[in-house]
Amino acid sequence: MSRPILESINLTRTVSIDNKPRTIVDNFSFQFQQGGSYLIIGPSGAGKSSLLRLFNRLDEPTTGTIRFHDKDQCNYSPCKLRRSIGYLFQTPYLFEGSIIDNIRYADSELSDDDITRLTDMVHLRSNLIHSGSSRLSGGELQRVAMARLLAMSPEVILLDEPTSSLDPTHTETIEELIGEIRRKHSVTVIVVSHDPAQALRIGGDALLMVEGRLIETGPVEQIVNNPQTEFGQLYRDRKLS
Amino acid sequence: MNNPALTEVVISLLLVVASLAITRYWKINVAKDISLGSVRAFVQLIAVGYVLQLVFDIESVWLVLLCLAVMILIGAQAAASRIKGFRGSFAITLLAMTVGSFFTLASMLALNIITMEARYIIPLGGMIIGNSMNATALTLDRLTSDVKNNRLAIETSLALGKSWRVASVGFVRSAATTGMISILNFMKTVGIVALPGAMTGMILAGADPLEAVYLQIIVAYMLLAAVVVTSIVTVELTIRKFFTRFHQLTLND
Repeated sequence: MSRPILESINLTRTVSIDNKPRTIVDNFSFQFQQGGSYLIIGPSGAGKSSLLRLFNRLDEPTTGTIRFHDKDQCNYSPCKLRRSIGYLFQTPYLFEGSIIDNIRYADSELSDDDITRLTDMVHLRSNLIHSGSSRLSGGELQRVAMARLLAMSPEVILLDEPTSSLDPTHTETIEELIGEIRRKHSVTVIVVSHDPAQALRIGGDALLMVEGRLIETGPVEQIVNNPQTEFGQLYRDRKLS
Repeated sequence: MNNPALTEVVISLLLVVASLAITRYWKINVAKDISLGSVRAFVQLIAVGYVLQLVFDIESVWLVLLCLAVMILIGAQAAASRIKGFRGSFAITLLAMTVGSFFTLASMLALNIITMEARYIIPLGGMIIGNSMNATALTLDRLTSDVKNNRLAIETSLALGKSWRVASVGFVRSAATTGMISILNFMKTVGIVALPGAMTGMILAGADPLEAVYLQIIVAYMLLAAVVVTSIVTVELTIRKFFTRFHQLTLND
């Protein structure tokens, strides 16, 4: 039986917007099991990305705790924690230099064989790896960012709308890549998506968030097609912005 | 040239009148600025002349230190006021200018290049503080705008397990370089493109040109040290304000 790798307990984050407090993650509690595959879905502004930033400790929660391997997040050094809980941003950013330089940024001790293994894993053409990022398409940029993330050998991967800036063809290849990573590696994958159709294609357990709160959880087919809550039905009927 | 007296100063006002006439003829609307600027320059410099006379006559270490402190305070305020939307900029410019200025003056005293006399400390201190002010303002401005404009780059680095120091090192280095650029350019072109003020002043006052050159070289090295120290202190103090102890970027200001 799997056990929780990441757990959030009554997680809340309140920020100040125009000098007014606004709760962007509201009392969020959930256990993510080791090796599990999760989709965080919900309308724009539901707090999905903010939640991932808390898991990666790029932001501090206002109240509540996050536990990793049954230990409070605060017991880990933030830098070590981020290498175990990898975070892929919505817009990939590549540093100056070649693709190899970018992958080695995550781990300077990677051998050439390691680089080949990683680029193969994300289906990146080998003739590209010595070139800079300016020659890459949006899909290739995302794949380099993915290879760089995998170079850290994270136990949890947080993917924040990984296809939001891609065209349909590249979207499909990235979705396939997410499926492959889930199948071939014993890594916990948490994907944020605002698109119910994409959520169905990726599959897994879904968590529906609305206005910072966790509304409903269950298999993605159920949450998207047959939600049990009023908010879930509104989301299915595209009545939530 | 005779040693200038008030008569010569008044006569030189003819150049201001000429400037007014020329700009008026060309319909360049700066008459108010020229008039105000000329009056201000006159009043401010006359006032500072009397103050310097007093300070040189009294020759007290405390009075010299007080003058330096006032100059640094005003300079730090001017530098900080150039940076909009960044809380705590005055404390940074004040500390950076104080460290940069006192490090340089103390080194010059320790190396016996100058002695603790008001007629050395005040003018050299003024030059040091002026250059430190520009260095801290340029460095602070560059670093704050770079960090704010490169949030994704910095957070990508943090998310890859890098420390705040590693995530920001490129921006810190380029900001510090920005603060030093003007003194570095000055040193490259000094004597070729223009003769600097201190040297010109000495030559006009009748000093031996070689003696004036020696002083100018010392001044150039002195300003370099002040600007380097001020820029480094500025980036070190500023960059810390952007990160929490958990290596998180904060852009609340």
